[in-house]
Amino acid sequence: MEGKAAINTVQTPEAGIGKRMRKFFISVSDLSAFTLRFVKEAFTPKYEIYEFIKQAYLVGYQSFPLVAITGFIMGLVLTIQSRPTLAQFGAESWLPAMVAVSIVREIGPVITALIFAGKVGSGIGAELASMKVTEQIDAMEVSGANPFKYLVVTRTLATTLMLPVLVVASDGISLFGAYVGCNLKGDVSFKLFFLQVFDKLTFSDVFPATIKTFFFGLAVGLIACYKGYNSNKGTAGVGESANASVVYGSLCIFIIDMIAVQFTSLFN
Amino acid sequence: MKNTTGNKVKVGIFVTVSLALFTVAIYLIGQRQQLFSDAFHISAVFKDIGGLQGGNNVRFSGINVGIVEDIEQITDSTVRINMRIGKATQKFIKKNARATIGSDGLMGNKIVVISPGTADNRVVADNDQLNAFQAVSMDEIMAKIKVTADNAAVITGGLASIVGNISEGRGTIGKLFMDTVFAKNIDNSLINIKQGTKGFKQNMDAAGNSFLLRGFFKKKNKEKEQKNKDK
Repeated sequence: MEGKAAINTVQTPEAGIGKRMRKFFISVSDLSAFTLRFVKEAFTPKYEIYEFIKQAYLVGYQSFPLVAITGFIMGLVLTIQSRPTLAQFGAESWLPAMVAVSIVREIGPVITALIFAGKVGSGIGAELASMKVTEQIDAMEVSGANPFKYLVVTRTLATTLMLPVLVVASDGISLFGAYVGCNLKGDVSFKLFFLQVFDKLTFSDVFPATIKTFFFGLAVGLIACYKGYNSNKGTAGVGESANASVVYGSLCIFIIDMIAVQFTSLFN
Repeated sequence: MKNTTGNKVKVGIFVTVSLALFTVAIYLIGQRQQLFSDAFHISAVFKDIGGLQGGNNVRFSGINVGIVEDIEQITDSTVRINMRIGKATQKFIKKNARATIGSDGLMGNKIVVISPGTADNRVVADNDQLNAFQAVSMDEIMAKIKVTADNAAVITGGLASIVGNISEGRGTIGKLFMDTVFAKNIDNSLINIKQGTKGFKQNMDAAGNSFLLRGFFKKKNKEKEQKNKDK
């Protein structure tokens, strides 16, 4: 009998793939329901303003130093790396414009969002998962509070609204890094650098890049909250939720970025 | 963590600074496109705009004063470009100003260049149409360069044939440069001339000493001395 039971538990590869596909579609369905619930809860009173501000402080303000350092290095390195190629064409004077377009359109939003997913996504995922496994969320429900509104809506709104702010700050610091990079081997005045930067930037560079950061923030917040809120494997699930929040959050950033670039090119 | 007033202030400052940065960036970009300043519109009609696009710069006296707002095809061979120019420049652009399509550097974007016009003309008004000067296109330049290159090929072909003849010793110049027998003949001739003139000098000296011609030479010498004295 024991031998028969053991044979029954061995799965064929096809059955494994089928099971994984089933799990994937269930996750997509749950995440969609979770997103709809978020939208519904976000627009119905009562609003958790103070908790939202606290989360804005945690996810926005406290992420700023990390984002600022990354942004500065990004601008500096991109400038130093681009210089030799442009110098081959005798187009070094195009360096500020080229770096500015790269930073504002793509590198600033995406790198900042990835850093944000790493720092904030894992934090939210782990925090909510540990609340779930220690039954704090259940306790909130029992006491009549709405844990979804208090935990998920505030955090997701904070990530959605704070990431664009962080990206704007990061872009500014990156451009300063690019200015420093330009002056390491060349000599460009501060005024000339920023005149060249804003001469080549257009609204079609700035607005789509800013709008997509709201979606990046929404994706990072929603996925982290979903993974944390639905954690169910005890303490092991906490680590798993934190990890999944970062991995899927980062993946979603790239997918949204790809959709955004296609969408933007329709209007250009 | 407590939600202290200090934290709220920090979030507030952070958001305000970022929004201010964003606003300044938007203003600076908009300013280049004359969006936040008074502007007027002028147009020009071209046969070929050579890849000019909406948003390209309009330059007057080397300064970017506006942008190409839109481009419309009027007929099968004419295109109108509408330009948005800063109001501050209006007083310098005269009615007979000419618009040309140029290029911002060798590899740069296309631009519209406006020449000022003459001082005795009236200032351009809103929605006026400027005279367009169709600049020579790159294709036309290439066509002319091709004709020049063809001519150069014919000339260099002729020169090559002449140099070939010379190096093979054909023709007068070829013989002069390359024929060793010819050179030897010339050398011999020069030796003969040298010997001839030497003999002639001896004959003349003998004639001067002969009694028949002595009187004639003496007379010549006297005339010569007289001339020297007069000087």
